Amino acid sequence: MSTTTASTQTSASASESTRAIVIAVLLGLGLVFMTGFAPAMALHNAAHDFRHTQNFPCH
Amino acid sequence: MIIRLLSAALVAGFLAAVVATGLQFALTSPLILKAEVYEEQAGKQASLSSPFARLIMPAHGDAHGHGDPGAAQEWEPSPGLERMAYTGLATLVGGVGYALLLGAVMLALKREPSPETGLALGIAGFLTVALAPAIGLPPELPGMASAALGVRQAWWLMTVVATGLGLYLIAVRRVPLTIAGGIVLIVAPHLAGAPLVVDTDSKLPAAYAAQFAARSLGVSLIFWAVIGLAYGWAWRLFGEAASSGNRSHA
Repeated sequence: MSTTTASTQTSASASESTRAIVIAVLLGLGLVFMTGFAPAMALHNAAHDFRHTQNFPCH
Repeated sequence: MIIRLLSAALVAGFLAAVVATGLQFALTSPLILKAEVYEEQAGKQASLSSPFARLIMPAHGDAHGHGDPGAAQEWEPSPGLERMAYTGLATLVGGVGYALLLGAVMLALKREPSPETGLALGIAGFLTVALAPAIGLPPELPGMASAALGVRQAWWLMTVVATGLGLYLIAVRRVPLTIAGGIVLIVAPHLAGAPLVVDTDSKLPAAYAAQFAARSLGVSLIFWAVIGLAYGWAWRLFGEAASSGNRSHA
């Protein structure tokens, strides 16, 4: 009984951390793409000096 | 858990952005402004010598416009305070993005976030996204000759993925076979060769370019170190806040 509860808790926290990882990766990649790669000219111009300093390939 | 990760990443990204923005204003932005003067001169000369030259040369017509001549009409922040504000904002967004990725990797590796593990992962982040691509494509100032953007972005991305995987195989898996595989992965993009353009008509003094490359890597190192340290610190902080919150409810 107690073993079942423990394993259910472990799998629950495992799926919780998987969900957290997926959300954080998608959000993180989205933000980094926006500042470093987004081709829209307005975004490029706004982030220009950051892109050069952080060595993202620029223009 | 996701709330704790997001909160810690926000705090880490903010602190790192404050530090890195200050360093960028002091060290790299002045060099970018100096380079744009040369870039502007080159653009004027090119448009005088041939109406088509601006299409061929990666030179920019105005002080800050980019790429093709049509881009001159695109929005850009006005010089001075507005431009600095957008640089700070971009650093903040980029910092939070990197902190989220660092937090996700930390969780995936099942490491307990602390300032120490955060710093170690931050250094790995610096090696992966800053130093490794910079070995092939050094940080460049506006107006320097370079290969087509798509080619450079593809090489950058390939190098970052290969280096990240390589470091994982070496530092986390740590058996002879994976270490050998990791070294191959890290070296391969450099053997394939970066799309670097050496010939240039730019009058930009080489000393500026060299100084910019060194300073830019220095800023990146501190940016990543602060992201890692602050993430570990903030993770603990939000953990304590949550547990003391639970206790007070109970």
